Formats: sequence, structure tokens, C-alpha cells
Amino acid sequence: MERKYLYLDYLTCIGCETCETVCDFIHDGSPHIRIYVTENKQYLPINCKHCDDAPCVRVCPTHAIYRDEDGAVRIHEDKCIGCLACLQVCPYGVPFYSLKVRAITKCDMCADRREEGLEPACALMCPAEAIQYGPLVMVLELVNERRAKNIPEHRRELGEEELRKSVSSGYVLL
Amino acid sequence: MRGIKFSFLCKEKPQRTGKRVAIVGAGPAGLTAAGYLVCKGHDVDIYDKMPEPGGLMLFVIPEFRIPVERVRLGAKELEEEFEVTYYPKTKVMEGEREDEGDEFYERVVKLSELRENYDAVLIATGIWNVGRIGIPGDDLEGILSPLELLFWIKGAELGYVPKEKVPDLRGKRVGIIGAGLTAVDAAFECNRLGAEVEIFYRRTIREAPAGAYEINILRNRGVKWFELVTPKRVIGENGRVKAIELLRTRLGEPDETGRRRPVPIEGSEFQVELDYLVFAIGMVPTPPVNGSYIATDRRGRIVVDSRHMTSVEGIFAAGDVANGPTKVSRAIKDGLYAAVSIDRWLRGES
Ligand SMILES: Cc1cc2nc3c(=O)[nH]c(=O)nc-3n(C[C@H](O)[C@H](O)[C@H](O)COP(=O)(O)OP(=O)(O)OC[C@H]3O[C@@H](n4cnc5c(N)ncnc54)[C@H](O)[C@@H]3O)c2cc1C
Ligand code: SF4
Ligand code: SF4
Repeated sequence: MERKYLYLDYLTCIGCETCETVCDFIHDGSPHIRIYVTENKQYLPINCKHCDDAPCVRVCPTHAIYRDEDGAVRIHEDKCIGCLACLQVCPYGVPFYSLKVRAITKCDMCADRREEGLEPACALMCPAEAIQYGPLVMVLELVNERRAKNIPEHRRELGEEELRKSVSSGYVLL
Repeated sequence: MRGIKFSFLCKEKPQRTGKRVAIVGAGPAGLTAAGYLVCKGHDVDIYDKMPEPGGLMLFVIPEFRIPVERVRLGAKELEEEFEVTYYPKTKVMEGEREDEGDEFYERVVKLSELRENYDAVLIATGIWNVGRIGIPGDDLEGILSPLELLFWIKGAELGYVPKEKVPDLRGKRVGIIGAGLTAVDAAFECNRLGAEVEIFYRRTIREAPAGAYEINILRNRGVKWFELVTPKRVIGENGRVKAIELLRTRLGEPDETGRRRPVPIEGSEFQVELDYLVFAIGMVPTPPVNGSYIATDRRGRIVVDSRHMTSVEGIFAAGDVANGPTKVSRAIKDGLYAAVSIDRWLRGES
């Protein structure tokens, strides 16, 4: 099956927290995408990036972390011994140890939903369309297109009036 | 672009239950509840006083944050794939009251009628009114409601409001009171339209609900940020705003929200000349009732129990109308949990 990506485009995210809310809803109060509020009140959703060369997969001593057929990095809960080695190496601090499950719990790209033919809930519900789910080419094309729209504005000297009229550039023109 | 998938919990409508639910208000709370309920097989009709669904996301929040198309396609999917019926330009009201955006409705339906005609009703009408703040001169010409202002600007872009209605802000001095999401968006839009914008806030940037991140983006764009000031009165000339008189404040003891309370400093008055003034504070919930048909608290919010049910059996409420001003995610969360309760209640489980 073609490898899928779950990409969060921070330049498009408005920090509304909807992704965490719907993830929380479908996981009975334990969301796998979590909003981190920086000191200057930027709302940053942090989720597993399902890295290509995932350090968590490499470091796990019991081989509890694996990649499924859609490309999601997942946990065999019964193999996890709770040593937190994966947490040490994850650049995003994603692996979350659940004392209840007694294993690492993390984003599995909505594995249950994918089995029913549904896509990850955060991507579907994000009002700003900041989360893309799909094959790498699709994700890259969409993000490239978004950035490309801003390039002429970066490169060309814009008049005051034109600058004001450009609505697409909420954050990028800073 | 794809639409917001309000029906994210299912692929298609399951077998019909035959139960009918009316939702009043097509903002994020109402639309998300609709998405859940159609996935449980209920038939959903949505009433809204505006010409199309989407609520604040569509009509007020600027396009660079939430794309219009994303909201429109999402609402359309509910209609086309899940047989949700929209009744736009329809104000639901028990009693009478004027709210913002009222120029669009063409019909009024009573809330009690909906209760009789449907198995359950969900109210998700948000906060579509702005209270007067009660200082001298707060009704002068040139004082704009933030909702109205943002709505004119976006409404004109969407083709609902004649262009002439949007004040020509080029080179005008616009003062904005407050530092929440509303104040920030009003500042972004006025700045984009060429105004010289100044924001006045009674605490400091640390306490500002919109946060230093957003405010600093505005400052980089030339918006002036003025903290530790509170409005005392608005000064007019021939009935129009001419200036605002402000008092400096200092921060005192923490209040019930844990933020330090601003204390006005006697004798510190000074004036700032302005052409327009926006009070981006004091937005009030607008339940579709005026009177005692359902219970509201002293801040005008609909009172609900743990099931999101109001004081009337079978009428539920969710979103800003029950919580006061919050965020999209809170409205969505409320819409989901209210819909869970409605579904249970319809099936006789609670
Ligand atoms: C300027 C501004 C900027 C904001 N920016 C952000 C942001 O960046 N991020 C964020 O997360 N949140 C933001 N918010 C907050 C967010 O928009 C609200 O919390 C959210 O929209 C509330 O959703 P709701 O469904 O409860 O109500 P609403 O979105 O307000 O929807 C209510 C609906 O009910 C309809 N209605 C009202 N009265 C009646 C009636 N009597 N009969 C029929 N229909 C009626 C209205 O037409 C409307 O469609 C912002 C709010 C404002 C005002
Ligand atoms: S739902 Fe989208 S816009 Fe909102 S916080 Fe999450 S990623 Fe950002
Ligand atoms: S848990 Fe961390 S390291 Fe592992 S795939 Fe996810 S983001 Fe990458």
C-alpha cells in the first residue's frame, strides 16, 4: 500500500485546538495530538511525525515499535516494557507513557478509523486545512503551492496598497 | 480544497432512526453536532438567520485564518451526502430581541414551535450581540461594533454587503479597545484596509487573551499597542467620535480569573484623537429566547445540565451561547458532546 503522511503545516495552523479536541473525543479523553502553548501564547499542536528514519523504531530494545502498511509508526503494546528510550530520542517528545495501558501510547494515524476506510480525524476537521493526510506527493504539492503563492510577494517590491490587499499572506509576510 | 468533514465519524448515513432533530445556529457547534447526529441515523434540519451556514467562521473570522471554501464545502457535504436541510435567513426566537446580523433574516420561527415539531432541538446561536460598555459618549457615530465591522468587510468580499457599506478606512485613525481574538482580528482587517490602528488594553501584553505572539505580528505591521489604559469617556464633535479619553492603570491583586486586576490611576487622564472606535469587548450570548421560556444566567448564557440539556426537556444547547465567548475548538467539543447526549436521550438511554 502507498505510504501515507500526516503533515502539519505550522504556517497555516491558526492554533484553534480543534485537532486536539476531536482526537480527545475519539480517544476517550487521551488525545495523541496535543497543543503546546508557548510563553508568548502561540498554540502549537504537536503530534507524531511518523518519521521516515524513525529514531524511536531504531532505539526500542524490544522491537515494540513498527511501521504499518500505510506508513504509521505504531506500538505493540504487549512488547513495550516502558523503558522510555523512545521518548529520549524523539525530537518532538511524542511517546506518551500510559500507566493505565502500561505501554507507550501515541498517534497511530487513526488506525481503527483507517480500517473502516476513514481518514485521521484531525486532518478532516481542522478548519484551516493545516493538516494533510495522504501520499507524499500530494502533501508536498499542496504545501509547495501554498508557499509558491507567497513567493512573488516576497520577491517583488510591493506598493503599500498591494501589500494591504494581499489576504493570503497573514503570517508569511513578516 | 476539501471541506471540513463535520461527519468525520462515518462514511455514509446509516439506517434511518426516523427521529428528527432541529439545530438552531449553523456555526461550528451546530454543524459538528449535525455531523454526529447524521452518523447516528437521525434526520437533521438546521435553522440560521444568515444567508448561508458557517457562523462566525464564515462571516466574521478573516479569510487568511479560515478559508471560506473550507467551511462552505463542509456545510455542503452535510446537505448533499447526509440529507441535512438548511433553512437560511430564518431567525428562531421566542419573544423579541434585535441582534447583530439581523438585516438578513426573512422569516421568524418560534423556538416552542420547533420543540413541538421535532423530537429534539439543539440551540447553538453563539454570541451575536455586543453590550454597551456604559461610559459617556459610547453611542457616538463612528463607534463600530467589532462584529458589524468584520462582517461588513467579509460580507462585502462575499457579496452580501454593498461595498459602500464598508467605511473607507484609508489613513483613518482607528482605536480598538480589548486584546482578545476579536480585537486582534479587527486590528488585522483595519490595518489591511489602510487605517492607522491603535489597540488599547487595560492590562499588559502578558495577560492579553490573544497572546503576545499575535499582538507582535500586528505591531510588526505597524499597529500601535498601548497597554495599561482604560477608557473613561468618548469625546464627540457634532455627534461623531473625535477622541477617546483614557486613564492609566496599574496592576493590583489577582481577580477570580487569576490575572492581576487593572486599577485605574486617579488623575492620569489623557486623550487620543480618533476617527473610529471599536469596543472589542463585552460580546454577549444570544439565545433564541427573550423571556423565561428557557433559563439563562446573569451573563445571558443558557443554563445547561451535564447532558447539555436546558431547562426545557428535549431542548439542548452548545457552543458560545452556553459558554460565553470561547474558541472554535470549544464549540466543536460542545457540539460533539451535546450530540452524544441528544442521541442517547432520543434512544431513551438517559
Ligand atoms: C472576531 C472573532 C475572531 C475569532 N477568531 C478565532 C480564532 O482565530 N480561533 C478560534 O478558535 N476562535 C476564534 N473566535 C471564536 C469562535 O469564532 C467562536 O468561539 C465560535 O465560532 C463559536 O461557535 P458557535 O457555533 O457557538 O457559534 P457561532 O459561530 O457564532 O454560530 C452561531 C450561528 O447561530 C446563528 N444565529 C444566531 N442567533 C440566531 C437566531 N436567533 N436564529 C437563528 N440563527 C441564529 C448565527 O447566524 C450563526 O450562524 C473568534 C471570534 C470572533 C468574534
Ligand atoms: S485544528 Fe488545524 S488550525 Fe486548529 S490547532 Fe489543529 S492544526 Fe492548527
Ligand atoms: S514518535 Fe517521535 S521519533 Fe518516533 S516517529 Fe513519531 S515523531 Fe518520529
